Amino acid sequence: MSVTSYNERPTIKAGETDTISVPWSRPRPKRSWISSRAVSAVTILVVLAAWALSARLQLVSPVFLPSPAAVWTKFIVVARDGFVDATLLQHIVASLGRVFAALVAAIVIGVPVGLAIGISTVGRGIFDPLLEFLRPIPPLAYLPLVIIWFGIGEPSKILVIAIAMLAPVALSTASGVRGVSQERINAARSLGATRVQVVRHVIVPSALPSILTGLRIALGAGWSTLVAAELVAATRGLGFMIQSAAQFLVTDVVVMGILVIATIAFVLEFIIRRIERQLVPWAGKD
Amino acid sequence: MPHLVLDKVSVHYDGQPAVERVSIDVAKGDFVVLVGRSGCGKTSLLNVAAGLVEPARGVATIGGSPITGPGPDRAVVFQNDALFPWLTARENVAFALRLRGVPQAERGRRADDLLKLVKLEGVGDKHIWELSGGMRQRVGLARALAAEPEFLLLDEPLGALDALTRERMQTTLLDLWTAAQVGVLMVTHGIEEALVLATRIIVLAPGPGRVVRTFETGFSRRYASGEPIRSIKADPAFAAARGELTDAIFEGEPA
Repeated sequence: MSVTSYNERPTIKAGETDTISVPWSRPRPKRSWISSRAVSAVTILVVLAAWALSARLQLVSPVFLPSPAAVWTKFIVVARDGFVDATLLQHIVASLGRVFAALVAAIVIGVPVGLAIGISTVGRGIFDPLLEFLRPIPPLAYLPLVIIWFGIGEPSKILVIAIAMLAPVALSTASGVRGVSQERINAARSLGATRVQVVRHVIVPSALPSILTGLRIALGAGWSTLVAAELVAATRGLGFMIQSAAQFLVTDVVVMGILVIATIAFVLEFIIRRIERQLVPWAGKD
Repeated sequence: MPHLVLDKVSVHYDGQPAVERVSIDVAKGDFVVLVGRSGCGKTSLLNVAAGLVEPARGVATIGGSPITGPGPDRAVVFQNDALFPWLTARENVAFALRLRGVPQAERGRRADDLLKLVKLEGVGDKHIWELSGGMRQRVGLARALAAEPEFLLLDEPLGALDALTRERMQTTLLDLWTAAQVGVLMVTHGIEEALVLATRIIVLAPGPGRVVRTFETGFSRRYASGEPIRSIKADPAFAAARGELTDAIFEGEPA
């Protein structure tokens, strides 16, 4: 036993203590002279300015690139009078309706599939290869098959979006299940929980943050397959609106549609993040 | 009176022996503490008692019938409280009652009683992440007691707490042990903690885990019959026991 080594350390004399400062004990507030949000705002403004300028100088023909003002005017006109027999709001509602119907379907199928993958070896063996097969296929590739099998009605459009959403939902759920702490499960079992009760009262709530992340990713994936889905004999929808406009070379409506789709995606993402904070306030805190 | 018995239990992990022929007998009202260096298989033995690990050889029984899995007659408290963050403190405590289908008003009342017992009155509506480490461990204890177990299995329940909180929690544990009339099997690294809490201390040595000594101690009974904890710790007999226990734990290890 050697206790003496402690005495060999430099000792602090009385009265000296307050002059000693431990460098890491008081981190300085980080004073960044500019925030990344400000940079983003400037970036957007620069892009808009470049767009306006190139349109004003007629660097490219308005058929290829309409001016921001023309797009804005078109936005007002379509919002009020409509385009191809429906107002902008009706197009948006049609598209959102399809995406949310698909989301419900993806949750109803994807969450149980994800639970099965995460909980049971057999479930994993069955669903993992199927999902891995489905995941990388672009929607335009399976679109014809969906039409041949299910016709050109509304269910086909919803199905195309739902297929794109299924893998993110199921895989996020599975990864959430695999991340559940064994101690939590053991604690529940030792308190008398049956297998089913462990799934319901421990595994599902533990995986909830991950499931919600999956829904957010799925919504993004679904929204981005919208145009493909609305290729199929649609009469309304943002994707349909863009395609019709493209056929008549109404480029300002195309650009306007793209911006509306992007804005809605941004808003959806924001809303889901809010819901996540409401629903799983403990995420990242345990 | 029911006994929790491990009879010549061996535990293997991947074919490697972790515990070799260890026998432990916990009666209701006993406070048995397992101590020993890392790798002596303390937690493995606790997990066998909990029904979470199957012994390679030997049998574990409770009240004479073999242990085949976890059950509310042997509630476990883990080092990392393993509480459910989506539930409030009260809902965590009431978890076992909810599993049994006890009506909500009834289980809320009983959870509040248990929170009072662990000196956490008034925090029932708090979320788990709003509580300190010591408070969380108290919620964990109350949650285990709600299952009305005959035995409490404690896996280093105070291991993650700071020294002062730990000391306070030790008396809480003794109070619960007396109030709930349970048998306790506990794993700890703390030598003093073992002496304060135990009625019997089992010293294990590693490679593979086996019992090297058993001490019958009476300090916790003295606390239970009213002697203050400070006066017990100041007793020369306590210091002597401490030295003896330390020697037993580090026996055969180069100083």
